[in-house]
Amino acid sequence: MIKKPTPPSSSFSRQPVALAALAWLALAALGAGLASLLAPAGPLAVDTTRSLLPPGSNNPLGTDLFGRDVLTRLLWGGRWTLGMGLLGLAVTIGLGLPAGLAAGYFGGRVESVIMRLVDALLAFPGLLLAMAVVAVLGPGLGSVSIAVGLSAAPAYARVARSAALEVRAQPYVEAARALGGSEWRTIARHILPNTAAPLLAFAATQLGWVLLNGAALNFLGLGAPLGTPEWGATLNEGRGYLRDAPWVSTFPGLALTLTVLAANLLGDSLQEALQPQ
Amino acid sequence: MKRLIPILVLLSVLIAGCCDPLPPLTPTSTSEPFPSSDFTPTPIRLVYGLTLAPSGIDPHVNASSELGIPLTSMYDTLVYLDPNTGDFVPGLAEDWDVSENELVYTFYLREGVTFHDGTSFDAEAVRFNLDRITSPDLASQKASFMLGPYERVEVVDDYTVRIYLSEPFAPLIDSFSQVYLGMASPAAVEKWGSDYQLHQVGTGPFVFAEYIPQDHLLLRRNPDYAWGPEIYQHDAALADEIEFRFFVDPATRSPALETGEVDIMGEIPPQDAGRLAESDDFRIEAVPIPGVSLMFFLNTTRPPLDDVKVRQALLFATDRQAIVSTIFRDTSPVAYGPLAANTFGYESEVQDYYAYNPTQAASLLDEAGWKDTDGDGIRDKDGEPLILDMTLMGWGYMPEVGQLLAAQWSTLGIEVNSPPPVSYPEALEIAGEGRYHLIPFNLSGSDPDILRKFFHSQASFNWSKLDDAELDTWLEAAVRTSDWEEREALYSQIQLRVMTQALVLPIRDYVNLNGVNDHVQGLRFDAQGWFPWLIDVTASEIQ
Amino acid sequence: MIARYVGRRLAQAAFVLWLAVTLAFVAMQLTPGDPAQALLAASGATEQEIAERRAQLGLDAPLPLQYVRYIRRLAQADLGQSWLHSRPVGQMILEQLPATAELAVSAILVGTALGMALGILAALRRSSWLDTAATAVAVLGLSAPTYWSGLLAILLFSLQLGWFPAAGEGDLRHLLLPSLVLGFALAGSIARLVRARVLEVMEEPFVQAARARGLAPWRVFLVHVLRPALPTALTIVALQFGFLLGGAVITESVFARRGLGKLAVEAIIWRDLPVVRGVIVFGALAYVLVNLAADLAQAWLAPRLREELA
Repeated sequence: MIKKPTPPSSSFSRQPVALAALAWLALAALGAGLASLLAPAGPLAVDTTRSLLPPGSNNPLGTDLFGRDVLTRLLWGGRWTLGMGLLGLAVTIGLGLPAGLAAGYFGGRVESVIMRLVDALLAFPGLLLAMAVVAVLGPGLGSVSIAVGLSAAPAYARVARSAALEVRAQPYVEAARALGGSEWRTIARHILPNTAAPLLAFAATQLGWVLLNGAALNFLGLGAPLGTPEWGATLNEGRGYLRDAPWVSTFPGLALTLTVLAANLLGDSLQEALQPQ
Repeated sequence: MKRLIPILVLLSVLIAGCCDPLPPLTPTSTSEPFPSSDFTPTPIRLVYGLTLAPSGIDPHVNASSELGIPLTSMYDTLVYLDPNTGDFVPGLAEDWDVSENELVYTFYLREGVTFHDGTSFDAEAVRFNLDRITSPDLASQKASFMLGPYERVEVVDDYTVRIYLSEPFAPLIDSFSQVYLGMASPAAVEKWGSDYQLHQVGTGPFVFAEYIPQDHLLLRRNPDYAWGPEIYQHDAALADEIEFRFFVDPATRSPALETGEVDIMGEIPPQDAGRLAESDDFRIEAVPIPGVSLMFFLNTTRPPLDDVKVRQALLFATDRQAIVSTIFRDTSPVAYGPLAANTFGYESEVQDYYAYNPTQAASLLDEAGWKDTDGDGIRDKDGEPLILDMTLMGWGYMPEVGQLLAAQWSTLGIEVNSPPPVSYPEALEIAGEGRYHLIPFNLSGSDPDILRKFFHSQASFNWSKLDDAELDTWLEAAVRTSDWEEREALYSQIQLRVMTQALVLPIRDYVNLNGVNDHVQGLRFDAQGWFPWLIDVTASEIQ
Repeated sequence: MIARYVGRRLAQAAFVLWLAVTLAFVAMQLTPGDPAQALLAASGATEQEIAERRAQLGLDAPLPLQYVRYIRRLAQADLGQSWLHSRPVGQMILEQLPATAELAVSAILVGTALGMALGILAALRRSSWLDTAATAVAVLGLSAPTYWSGLLAILLFSLQLGWFPAAGEGDLRHLLLPSLVLGFALAGSIARLVRARVLEVMEEPFVQAARARGLAPWRVFLVHVLRPALPTALTIVALQFGFLLGGAVITESVFARRGLGKLAVEAIIWRDLPVVRGVIVFGALAYVLVNLAADLAQAWLAPRLREELA
């Protein structure tokens, strides 16, 4: 039952799953970026006489309740969703990375305080934390991005700390410290590059988490202004019509799920490929 | 291996200890005898689906209509309103009279009525209830307002009670027909204090058996009930138990009905109503709700809506039929005025006002000086673009209506700024501060005095920010006289004034779509539209 | 040794708890809106009545004093009364707890079982299509929004197939769909880490040695694969515990269940600080204790770590 495991493919490019994931993400980004060319009518073009039409020649993916073209809203929505994901991820890394690296590198009191703060934040259900942040910052996708980014930061800090701990034990780091110079320089020049691999991989999976929680906040009614074609929002709008007009929520739902799936699979592949042998 | 076992044991202890904490609520497993004097082979149990779980369910305190759905059959009221004739019939009060100056109401109470806890209902109980409702500590959100210019209550004898008003108040009898002024047991209120809402005691055909907040409310048949009003078709409840559950997510309501989880489900979304109506096993009972229709209040103190031409333009620019057809699937009638069409005192002339006419809307805007001078698609005036702030709440399809309005108006060069929907407390705050151009609301009520709550300059819900002395006078006069013709004439003037001044943008009359399993019979709703008379409800086959 | 470790961890736990409730206090203060006004607005109260209520709730005291009272109450194990419902917070939490605990535990069981199975399968058949398939299935659970997958599950399994009830609580059948939906999400995180850990362990020389010694494959599997995998799963579960307790509001809404998630969301909307504090305290306490238990269990299962602790 237990065979000797086959050695991992050393070349990242040979993993078809990773390639497929990358391809999807590229496609989504491309579609979002070219939305104004591909769907010039814009996502708010209402026509109530064409309400809830199934996919057809005029509307490849059908129309929603207000007669808006689903494909158009999907393409334009990509901007909002991917943008929210990237902004959130930036907040996560921007807060989590320095905190985690510092905790792992400096140890002692510093580590203690930072990790207790991380624990305290993790003890908060992420959704409630995000709600509280949005309540403070006011509504809007920007606040939602920051809020979900913030709630993903503690987990990221933990991973950063473990990575930093591993690298710190290496002899070359000891040597660098012995040579003197500022601690932060040491971190930047030695710790950071060598922790890049696991941190990059984790970042990819956190992207998925950020996207999903952003969509969850839309469900709870905090999020984009009305009519914004963000995928989570359109998915939520279409839920009520799931039996009569499944295309309204299926396509944004698939887009969202595939994107999160791709981010997760990419993260896993990166982790495996970049793992030091 | 040795170490795994303790962990597995621990896990299984945790599971055993925590799972299945509630006894399953199916009739076959209930072993306690049902308090029924009639011989019924199997108890009749129904499950009724409600929507939002209200934050409080004490009718003297809270204002939601949700609480009234179960509690209308748990409490009795002094009088009842017959929805067919529009007359008030005796309830706990066998008779009543009003003094010449309409300041003194004397109620002659029925004898032999007992609360579910065995105590007697008498004039002293009525006094206790009114004192409770009007006490400032209770912070009543609806009940005390329904009493209007109430001054005091006097116990004349054991079964006669007198109420004194400082001014005439026409809706008083109507108020006493609603669950918010239902009669609670003084003994129970005193016993339970701030926990009373979990242990409510009335005199009605059903007993308040159990309430777990957010989860369910259970009513059980009152076997001693013998004093129902003539509009009830039975002397005592037919069903033995009715359980109320909360379904916050609209998309799950129809599936819950169709899988048999519930027998009756309120507020079925319009898109599911067609399917249920056509099905053989279910039906839709569509109940129009009297009161104030779903409408947007236009803030008349905030430019550009301080200009009546702009407000009128908005009304002409709105294709209400398209809204009703698209969002509500024609299950609701279009609203043309502030009152729903089935409310007493409705002025049908409002239907001639503001038919959809985008050309007229455009010319009105031009007249008011709003033209698109810079070609950006948005009208402007003196360098200011025509942008309206719309505040919306997340229920009642307000977000959908808001989106469609924004789309319709954008073709006329009006831009709408609509942030994400806000919660009720936030909406109240925004309304109080006037930080909006448009804000929607709807409220149910059987007496047209409900208009005073919105259109009087001192009213708490004066969201159009009015200060119209003449309108104030009419509203105050209409509430002071009991002469129905006088009231009707005044309310007619009021409605026409509201519409000629374009103070609101009415959208649709509220219709509650109730999904009902075909084996349920006898479901009827009262004059408020929301509240069922559960005494007559039964199921033709036992589930 | 162990006692000292536990003692140290408990001290840390107290600190974490304090941090968490302080954060909650700060967050609620920063949120715009006046709780007294939110509570009384619907009753058409006058300015004066609102001011009186503010005083009654202690809201007009200076902030540091409010904070001290907030913490002192907590230290006396007094969760106070809800501002919205005027009921003891502890009781309100206890009412919602059974439903939440029931869902959390069954989601954990489903998620752990599924996650470990998928993770181990993927590791044992590494780089084959089975690996990819198992990983993809596991991650799929992580990738779909629960308000969508939950509704789809209801439409398919309740309405179409009639296998399960669509909503509510009561018995095991009511629990299955929501715990599947929630557990599937948990399974994803578990599977990926279990896979990594199992792969790591299988490379270890002592595993190779055991196989070379001719030990039965199932014994090798149990001792050398399952044992290191289980603590990994437990760690994830412990980390996600906060979410399972207070963040399952979406699952609660879709499946018409009561729970702490809904309670917390309502409290945030109405600025009901005592209830927010209560839920956070409860959640933080549970989180901290569960993590401590998981770490201890991990030490139990991995003797080397136990030595480290001593």
